[in-house]
Amino acid sequence: MADAMNLTGTISADEPIESRRERGEGPLLEVRDLTVKFPTEDGIVNAVRGVSYSLAEREVLGIVGESGSGKSVSSLAVMGLLPKSAQIAGQILLEGRDVLRMSQKQQRSLRGRKIGMIFQDPMTALNPVYTVGDQLAEAVRSHEAISRRSALARATEMLELVGIPRPKERLRAYPHEFSGGMRQRAMIAMAVINNPDVIIADEPTTALDVTVQAQILEKLMEVKDAVNAAIVLITHDLGVVAGMANRVLVMYAGRPVESGTTAQVFASPRMPYAAGLLGSIPSLETAGARLRPIPGAPPSLINLPSGCPFSPRCPLARAKCQEIEPALYSTDQLEHVAACHYWEELADLDDPTSIFRAQGVPAQ
Amino acid sequence: MPDIQSEDVAVTGPIAEAGPLTSIEREFTIQARTQREMVIRRFFRHRGAMGGLIVFAFVLVLAYSSIGILGLPGWWHQSYETTGTVQNGGAMSLDLLPPFVDGDGLAIGNHPFGQDDVGRDYFALTMRGTQISVLIAVSVGIISTVLGVVVGAFSGFYRGATESTLMRLTDLMLTIPLLVLAAVIGQISGGTPLLLALVLGLVLWPNLARLVRGEFLSLREKEFVEAARAMGAPDSRIIFRHILPNTLGTIIVNATLTISAAIILETALSFLGFGVQAPDTSLGKLISDYQTAFQTRPWLFWWPGLFIVAIALSVNFIGDGLRDAFDPKQTRVRA
Amino acid sequence: MGVFVVRRLTVSFLILIASTFLMFALVSASGDPLGDLRLDTSPNRQQKIEQRTEQLHLDKSVPQRYLIWAGGVVKCVVPGQDCDLGTTIRGQDVTSLLKQAMGVTFRLVTAALVLAILLGVTVGIVSSLRQYSGFDYTITFSAFLFFSLPVFWVAVLLKQYLAIGVNNWYADPVISLGFGVVFALLSGFTWGAVIGGDRRRKWIIRGVAAVLTFALLYYLQAVDWFTHPALGPGLIIVLALGSAVVVTALVAGLTHRSVLNACLVTAGVGGLAQFFVTPWLQDPKWASWTNILLLAVIAVIVAAVIGYLMGGLDRPQAIRATILTALATGFFIVVDQLLRAVPSYSDIVGGRILATIGSSTPNFDGTFWESQLDTFTHLLLPTLSILLISYATYSRYSRATMLDTMHQDYVRTARAKGLTERTVVMRHAFRNALIPLTTLAAFDFGALISGAIITETIFGWRGMGVLFVNGLAQSDPYPVMGFYIVTAISVVVFNMLADMSYAYLDPRIRLT
Repeated sequence: MADAMNLTGTISADEPIESRRERGEGPLLEVRDLTVKFPTEDGIVNAVRGVSYSLAEREVLGIVGESGSGKSVSSLAVMGLLPKSAQIAGQILLEGRDVLRMSQKQQRSLRGRKIGMIFQDPMTALNPVYTVGDQLAEAVRSHEAISRRSALARATEMLELVGIPRPKERLRAYPHEFSGGMRQRAMIAMAVINNPDVIIADEPTTALDVTVQAQILEKLMEVKDAVNAAIVLITHDLGVVAGMANRVLVMYAGRPVESGTTAQVFASPRMPYAAGLLGSIPSLETAGARLRPIPGAPPSLINLPSGCPFSPRCPLARAKCQEIEPALYSTDQLEHVAACHYWEELADLDDPTSIFRAQGVPAQ
Repeated sequence: MPDIQSEDVAVTGPIAEAGPLTSIEREFTIQARTQREMVIRRFFRHRGAMGGLIVFAFVLVLAYSSIGILGLPGWWHQSYETTGTVQNGGAMSLDLLPPFVDGDGLAIGNHPFGQDDVGRDYFALTMRGTQISVLIAVSVGIISTVLGVVVGAFSGFYRGATESTLMRLTDLMLTIPLLVLAAVIGQISGGTPLLLALVLGLVLWPNLARLVRGEFLSLREKEFVEAARAMGAPDSRIIFRHILPNTLGTIIVNATLTISAAIILETALSFLGFGVQAPDTSLGKLISDYQTAFQTRPWLFWWPGLFIVAIALSVNFIGDGLRDAFDPKQTRVRA
Repeated sequence: MGVFVVRRLTVSFLILIASTFLMFALVSASGDPLGDLRLDTSPNRQQKIEQRTEQLHLDKSVPQRYLIWAGGVVKCVVPGQDCDLGTTIRGQDVTSLLKQAMGVTFRLVTAALVLAILLGVTVGIVSSLRQYSGFDYTITFSAFLFFSLPVFWVAVLLKQYLAIGVNNWYADPVISLGFGVVFALLSGFTWGAVIGGDRRRKWIIRGVAAVLTFALLYYLQAVDWFTHPALGPGLIIVLALGSAVVVTALVAGLTHRSVLNACLVTAGVGGLAQFFVTPWLQDPKWASWTNILLLAVIAVIVAAVIGYLMGGLDRPQAIRATILTALATGFFIVVDQLLRAVPSYSDIVGGRILATIGSSTPNFDGTFWESQLDTFTHLLLPTLSILLISYATYSRYSRATMLDTMHQDYVRTARAKGLTERTVVMRHAFRNALIPLTTLAAFDFGALISGAIITETIFGWRGMGVLFVNGLAQSDPYPVMGFYIVTAISVVVFNMLADMSYAYLDPRIRLT
């Protein structure tokens, strides 16, 4: 049985989680060299190719990337929600214990209790045939043996916490009777109702109107403080990350390509892809000038070219880039790593985003 | 506009095809070309559909070449009309068992499927029945598809009064059990195969009409229709060049399934006596004609029945393969 | 809700008028009711023609005839008046013919409908949960096969070969070795698929189940069970306890001890109750369907009380589960009674227990249980013929919708909340998969009626289907219309029920 196998050198997973709780030291969640592959008819898709990161208590980590970068898949792996056919390797240490080596029952006891997840589209993520109150109560009663009435009372508290007016009446409403923003608030309530230590938010605002997005993000931060949780915020929207995250992890083609504090990565990106992302956002500073999008498209995850996967689109690419895939090099800044052979060239520039010039205008 | 893609969608196919957005016209013509190739490729990879295709083709070739059609002679020496003396109690002369298992080795003999009460060759009769049943089924498929698409397209696109009337008519026809309506109409039509095909086509279109209407209702709200209108395209162009190609998948799949339903319906009708009648024959009529003899001469029952099942099953498999080919969401992940 | 019903009834009424008129016109065009008389050579030919013309209103135009007929139909619902649905060619009153025929057809259609749904949906769900397994491929292929079979061919096949085969076997019930082995293997593989698990566990289950099945078959043969079948009090109690476990597993999950205990207690009570109930059931003066229904109601009430008292935190689930357990126990007790009547029934029908003609044995004179058995054996083959194809439709469809719902986002959310797989599948996925099935049921009903027409013809039942077929063949319009009006009304009612269930199941749809 997986429990007895002591592969990771950590304490056997048979002991109750409580006894392993670190007191503010060491990472709450540590992902080491996570790899996820899916066998498909067209070949094996390497969705995640060696992701490592760590999350401390009450920290907000932003994971940024395009569709296909592997950001969602790696988080689903942490939750244990990938299909059975997925081939997962690596370690996911929650409070020092490897989730991947746990039995199904133990994994289930973590989900919704120690780790809560908020999904992208609240309309489809909530079951349309049950009331919101029932779904919230279910989240509680699956981990605790309490009466339905008590569970519904807790649900009411949660709805109040997330800012839904008249929560008691709302318990009896169905998801389709809520607006988009309210549904997402209800999802947040559902994710935190058991006071988890980690909240994974997978593109929580992408499906919402712009005006509602800011409200939801603000509410998410309030809730995080209320329940004392850390957040892994997955998004493709850099603006969201800038406002909320302490640290940023940029992913491309299944791998992290840059990681550091938000200030470091935003002010001085050391990897061309990150620079390109920052440069493609319109802002007041670049008003009047042409936008600088990154040309080309992300590579296929089935037939990855050798070398750096970004090289076909990178203005700094040279022969070495096409042969050897860069590891995450430490840069001149503390705890700021980047996967680029020529990160120093980027560091020398005042404006790293300038390497993606609009056509015809010479680089400075 | 393409929906926001999540990792789950990206997993199932080559990412490289997702490119930057181009103008609307280019977008859907490019998709149509690659889509057609992908559909064809997926179809030919579907083993069930390929099996069905082979069996159906075999039955068709066998039926039409063995006894000939429209005056052209076939390679089988017996005719389905000439009566004669009943040999061997009308037993099958087909033998497939090798000698060591109590057989005579592979032999076909004069009457591989046996003979009927008046000495006609049963193989030839079965072939003739197959010819007629398949002809009717395919004709019904075509007629009902055309009708269904027209009714569905007009009611889904124009809405308003057109839609109401057409849909009321469709719903009305759908409340009458299929066999009941078909039997009455079959009785009116008399029993010649082509006329029967025509009237049965008038019975099977409502289902497809509903489906096509549904597709048109949702597709007419899409942005590419708005864009086409903004470019000044007339209604007919929008219907035929823009919306209809996107419904092709549903139409083709349902046309195939209608053919398989049609063969079962026609044989049932002929069995009850309301379908094909003498002097023509159909697989259903053959089974009905010799009902009393099955205890002693089971081959009179098995052969026509097996052919009906073979045709219906193979067409169903083809339809299933087509459905999987047109619906890319069903990608199989090898366990 | 009331508004919905009224509006629906009005619309349905209009549809009925339109479709009956359409049918009337078509039927009138399909043949000449005077056809056989025109060829008549007897001296009073003209007289006969005049008589029939008057009876069938053939001197009037088609719309006029329709109005007369419709008037007769309306008289059915007007209190104090009798139905007048016209007469047949031979002067018989259609209404009385219809009354006899309706019960017969209703039995057939209901049995096929209920069994097709239960079997089809169950198999479809299990198959979807074991996607890509050998079991799934077998089930999918066989559903595909059944779906492509013509009803009439299946019916003739069953009638000619299965019935005679079974009857011959019953004369000397010996299980051949080949059959025993094959049956045991099939049983083993099915149990393995249903219970599931990793490879090792599945092979263990398969082996054990196969061996047990094989042993069971030969044990039954040794004790001569096939000629004198019965369940026996011990087995009834075992079955009741078993169903308590299964019901709990389905409704709440075996971890909910309070529900399990409540069901076990219910099963125990039911098992003990059989000793009181059985003598009543065997008393010929007492045995009737009303009394059995009465017993069922009492059982449900007792079960509900037990569930309420013992349910604890899961009271509503416990009550549901105990009621189901009670009904299951009652079912086994009734089955036991039916089985005990087999030997005497067999004597009456001379050993041919599987009937092929008619809906019941003519001039049957036996006990209550023997006549129920008689009805059952006559019902078996025709129901099976229709069932095969309907079951295929339901299993394919429920498999497809189940697969679809299992890939929905809310199922992922349910898993993310840490719910057990059972809860995710039953409470979230299955509940949503039920919704489109109601639409399917509405569609399939028409197919059931078509199937009934064919099987009644083949098995010689005197049902409505035969009225239709004979009437149409002989150009006899009024029995055909009689058939049609009953059919049309039942289709309308059924569709309305389906729509109401749809609205009940899906809160996004509100009946307006």
